[in-house]
Amino acid sequence: MAVALEAKNLTKKYGEVIAVDNVSLSVERGSLFGLLGPNGSGKTTMIKMLTGQTRPTSGSASVLGVDVIKDPVGVRGQVGIIPEQETPPSFLTAMEYLEFVAAVRKIPDIETKEDWWFDFLDFADKKNVLCKDLSRGTRQKLMFTQAFIHEPALALIDEPLINFDPIMQDVVKDYLAGYVKKGRTIFISTHILEVAEEICSGFAILHKGILLHTGPVAELTARGEHLPSFFLSLVRKDRHV
Amino acid sequence: MFELFTNMVKEEWRVHSTMFGSLSFALFPVMIFGIALMGSFLIPLMRTTLPAGNLTLIIHANYLMLGIMVGGFGLLGNEVMNRRFGQASLLAFSARSLPISEKFIFLNFVIKDTVYYFFLWVLPFGFGYILASPFTGVPLAGALLLLLTLTLSFLFGLCGVFFLSAIYARSRPVLWLVLLVLGVGMGGLAAMTGKNPVLFFPPLLLNSAFTWVNFLISCAVLALLFGIAIVLFNPESVGSEKTYRDSFAPLMQRFSFLPNPPLAAKDTLDLYRSGSLIGQTIFSFLLPLAVIWFFLSLLGPFFPPHGLLFIVAVTTGVIASTMYTWVTMFDTFGPYACLPVAVSTLIESKLTTFAVLQAIPAIFIAVVALFSGEAAYLVPAIVLGISVSFYAVGVMAWLCGLSPNVLVYDVKVLFVYLILVGIALTIFTSVAFANPYFALSAVILAIPTWLLVRKAKVRWDAVDPGGF
Repeated sequence: MAVALEAKNLTKKYGEVIAVDNVSLSVERGSLFGLLGPNGSGKTTMIKMLTGQTRPTSGSASVLGVDVIKDPVGVRGQVGIIPEQETPPSFLTAMEYLEFVAAVRKIPDIETKEDWWFDFLDFADKKNVLCKDLSRGTRQKLMFTQAFIHEPALALIDEPLINFDPIMQDVVKDYLAGYVKKGRTIFISTHILEVAEEICSGFAILHKGILLHTGPVAELTARGEHLPSFFLSLVRKDRHV
Repeated sequence: MFELFTNMVKEEWRVHSTMFGSLSFALFPVMIFGIALMGSFLIPLMRTTLPAGNLTLIIHANYLMLGIMVGGFGLLGNEVMNRRFGQASLLAFSARSLPISEKFIFLNFVIKDTVYYFFLWVLPFGFGYILASPFTGVPLAGALLLLLTLTLSFLFGLCGVFFLSAIYARSRPVLWLVLLVLGVGMGGLAAMTGKNPVLFFPPLLLNSAFTWVNFLISCAVLALLFGIAIVLFNPESVGSEKTYRDSFAPLMQRFSFLPNPPLAAKDTLDLYRSGSLIGQTIFSFLLPLAVIWFFLSLLGPFFPPHGLLFIVAVTTGVIASTMYTWVTMFDTFGPYACLPVAVSTLIESKLTTFAVLQAIPAIFIAVVALFSGEAAYLVPAIVLGISVSFYAVGVMAWLCGLSPNVLVYDVKVLFVYLILVGIALTIFTSVAFANPYFALSAVILAIPTWLLVRKAKVRWDAVDPGGF
């Protein structure tokens, strides 16, 4: 099967601190891949490197066939991204922000698309509100929309469910599952293990910047294991080491 | 409650030191001290052409302007910090989580700004001057008095801007009325005494002849301005949702002739809706320049013919270059990091918006030329001012990328900036003094500006945009 994303010996150092240490992994097209790890394990740094937001100290990576070091802007042009903490610009309204994204990404027929998303994520009543005045949940809806509005072949999303209420989490999980069924790929970073087990086809576990395991979820279930318990035993063992 | 004050001071220090290292920031007052110390040795030379009183006047004008600018930034602090550090906020805005009133926090905030910037700017300068006094023939008492009056000048700027911005936040018509009353008052004073009203600036009066009465009057005026600002202080409204009809698409169409219409439209909305366009134009541009124009007008006899206009034009150019910070201060690269936008594209777009804003200094210089009866030199003065502004912004973009208001406190950056801008200012001011029409030659600054911007784009594309 074709590869959507491939990282080879990716390393990122911030001074003396090694955030990501020699990580290699590949993600097939049409899969929903979960990057799992406790807080501070290097998940966000990994996503930042894969989307050209930060340069690796060493190693290489290609996303949809584009080299992330040589052409970071080209990568960002092809994929959809939800950064972990970033909020939309303060002084644009929700609708204006989507128009801004559409203009930068050159997305045609934006009015129809944004109307669909406002209805789908149930925030049409907020479309004329300044982004700085939106609640965290609504900002997350907006960031989710900007990542998927151009229907990218690959979306890299960092903790996408964290500010959603349970109803919206359910809507989003269904959307993600349906999205990969259309042959597109999602790379999701999360520490909500139950969600990962429910929706991911493949996963990798990162701890203190080191890749502890990577493989399909089906392999675990075939062994009668659950992702949360597997994750906890692996990370705890690594802590003692 | 002393803890609140000490933590605010710590917070201010960390805001600066975490940006570019404690050492670089700690060296900043050392550099100010060095400039004052070395500058003091030039006093005996300058005295031959410029009376000491006029030198004092220039320094007081600078510290008044510094106070105005510090006050202006402090009031914008929370928004700037939120954009720069994501979830970060200032203690000054923490009344919602602490059992302390907004007004008390604001009082601490004002005292913190006063103490902090006194140690950062005022004391190092005064100390350099005091240390040089035995060698420059300035009596120690005079040096100590200068330290006191510079402190007062700085405080007048700081509390003046707090006072005016507190009124601005309550009612814009009242602000215009207050400015009008001030203007009429100064005009009346000039008409009654036949003197430039700047000479009645309390710290200057005190510097020329110290009396306890004058000192107490200065303190009383400051206390009054602080007091009114605190009483009028309007805490940030909580829970309000501002709505706007869609202005982005029409604005983008209007800017279709620019290189990056969506980015230009976004910058325009940022400036307009944040209140920066009007607020910054008043507090960071017109107010300091009006103050400088008034002060410089006293030095007219010491300049060559028409020199004052070109000095004002050059100063306007330097201050106008800081408009680049207006368009960069509400943005980190963060919101663009999920889009196919390079740092160089963003720098280009910010510079385009900056170029549009240059209409403001051009109009200001034209007004000065017309009011001072030098309409014949309007074009050379505008060319000089705007060329200096573009050149200074080229230096700023090359040195600081998208973070000019942060990196300016890095002593290395500030040093290089001062050298590069200082050389250009010296050359083109001298040229304009020689013949006003020679000021047109400042267009040649377009070449280094173009090179600097090109280098800036290459340089900052190669730097990890995750920074600031």
